[in-house]
Amino acid sequence: MKQNRKRESLRLGTVAKSLIACMCVAALGLFYVYGKTRINRLGDEVGKREATLTATEKRNAMLAAQLAQLKSPAALEQRCQQYNLGLMSPKDTQMVPLYEPGPEWDAQLVKPADPVTATTAKTKTPVLAKKPQTKVMARR
Amino acid sequence: MTAPRQNVRVLIVIGAVGLAFAGLAFRLFQLHVLQHKELLAQAVANSEQVLHRQGRRGQILDANGNLLANSLSARLVFADPSVTCSQAVTTAHALAPLLQMDEATLAGKLSSPGHYVRLKQKLNEDTIQQVRALKLKGIGFEDQFMRLYPNGELASHVLGFVDAEHKGVQGIEASMETFLQGQSGYEVVERDRRGREIRASRIEDLAPRDGFTVVLTIDQVIQHVAEVELEKAMVEFRPQAATIIVSRPKTGEILAMSCRPTFDPNKAGDATADARRNRCVSDLAEPGSTFKIVTISTALSEGLVRLEDRFNCENGAWLYGGRLLHDAHPYGVLSVEEILFHSSNIGAAKIAVERMGQARVYDAMRNFGFGNKTGIAIPGEVSGIVHPLSKWNKLSISRIPMGHEVSVTPIQMMMALNAVANGGQLMKPLIVKSVLDEKGTPLMQYTPQLAGQPITPQATALMTTALRKVPSPVGTAPKAAVPRYDVAGKTGTAQKLENGQYVNKFYSSFIGYLPANDPQISIYVSLDDPIGGAYYGGSVAGPVFRAVAEKVTQYLGIPPQQQPNSDDTKKVASL
Repeated sequence: MKQNRKRESLRLGTVAKSLIACMCVAALGLFYVYGKTRINRLGDEVGKREATLTATEKRNAMLAAQLAQLKSPAALEQRCQQYNLGLMSPKDTQMVPLYEPGPEWDAQLVKPADPVTATTAKTKTPVLAKKPQTKVMARR
Repeated sequence: MTAPRQNVRVLIVIGAVGLAFAGLAFRLFQLHVLQHKELLAQAVANSEQVLHRQGRRGQILDANGNLLANSLSARLVFADPSVTCSQAVTTAHALAPLLQMDEATLAGKLSSPGHYVRLKQKLNEDTIQQVRALKLKGIGFEDQFMRLYPNGELASHVLGFVDAEHKGVQGIEASMETFLQGQSGYEVVERDRRGREIRASRIEDLAPRDGFTVVLTIDQVIQHVAEVELEKAMVEFRPQAATIIVSRPKTGEILAMSCRPTFDPNKAGDATADARRNRCVSDLAEPGSTFKIVTISTALSEGLVRLEDRFNCENGAWLYGGRLLHDAHPYGVLSVEEILFHSSNIGAAKIAVERMGQARVYDAMRNFGFGNKTGIAIPGEVSGIVHPLSKWNKLSISRIPMGHEVSVTPIQMMMALNAVANGGQLMKPLIVKSVLDEKGTPLMQYTPQLAGQPITPQATALMTTALRKVPSPVGTAPKAAVPRYDVAGKTGTAQKLENGQYVNKFYSSFIGYLPANDPQISIYVSLDDPIGGAYYGGSVAGPVFRAVAEKVTQYLGIPPQQQPNSDDTKKVASL
């Protein structure tokens, strides 16, 4: 068999081309594997985040319900009694009506007639031409 | 010799290798072509899984955004009895204390026929972890939702409740089911050898949609005030039942609605059907004297009477149609205004008989909406009973004006009074304010709707003048007067009808609005068969009206019409 073999010199160009082709295939393979791994890792990450989101939403709903329970008028009344805060509704006589400023209030303000009066008027309290309608109440 | 033998060997090896490859090729052909369908199905079944996800049921909020109903995630624990039946006793012994169940009952469930049995629902996460730690075979968990009503009994008749499948059964839960229910979603996922999801290979992903949020016109604080006062009346007068409605006359918005007996929607199964019924929309009663508002306001509106017109009230007993009609107190000649604030049955009957006639009385009832459902968004509403003219007897015209021979619901009566308070405009009751999507953007806004104009604004002004005297020392309900506020109202005390006979039981009510000149709120209170002596609407329901009105006017900041007593002011100023 030996005598049948022909000695041929390896051509550098062919070897280089083969190497480049192999490297390209290898690079593509590696990139594919890297890509797949990365996609899987990101998928896992998304899954974890989704689980966290779901858990947070559940917790949020539970806390909202707890907050509603704590804010309910019955619970607040119970707490007031429990801590003996002495809170009670004001009596009729403890309420004094105040007058709420509004557009009609502004319209009824007496405006200064000349600039000289205007400069002095800035420091003065505006005078009401007419008593406005009662709108709000304040508790004393 | 060597060459042929060598060739044979080579042929044998080639043949063997060829056969092996041929076998493999056939097997591949068999697997990929001949058995493709069933093997593909098996492969998909092994790796793929379809997960159904339920959308969360929407929230119910009050007018100020306070939470009234919400859905929380919970879990249920189930068993596969085909697996657990062999060790039912030991499994039951381990599980019973954690699930707080009877051991024998649990063992029975674990050894029942079939492949699925629910052991316990609505378990918290701690219990789930404890059960999981036992590593019992044939025991599994499922996600589910749990409906929670954070305020317990508050507004339970309005909210209603849901069944085990999380579907609305009563109240707003049922009427707004379309909006509240979420849409289910599903995921088709691929799992690895250990059963973990390969998130990157998720095949289909249709996210569930949570239900929409329903915002009511109910105000949590006003509802609480109304319920507390109604409960006090229940303790004091021990009636069989009681109802209260607080509304805004100008828009028909319901601010509070409650009845007694009541129930906790978190444990709706524990309550009787009687306690769960919303009596404000589903219970009928003869209204009594509160119904005089309907006939007299129509007579005023049509110019048939004036407030000053006088009628002889026959000193408390009037024979009409062969039957005597009585007043609670004997009166002589009364004006229409006096007939209203003294609540004379004879006076009201005479207005109907002498000035109105049957047709007008009947039309008045129909125009005020009696005999029809108001259309409130609460299931179970009834129309009431208004007999057609053809079924009236000769006494009907004298009995209907004082609220007999007619049956109405509290919500119908409330809306009729609101028409008087609202310049004659009859509004449709409004209990749902809006529907919001997940981001809080309004999908639907419900606006006040006019249902009719039974009387003129002039007639309502005259009615208000007369009704303001009812909660005064000369009227029938001095206990309903609210200090510093002008109140217009009407009492009602109707004898109850049992087996076709009027018995010594009463349906006591008070209905009113304030401030009389610019009504901001209207309140209806009724007590069915109060015990303990007092039964007049003014004595029984009047104080409840007053207590609620005092607190609600403060809460809403409705300015009083009268200045406080000067002595009291001095006392406060000195504090």
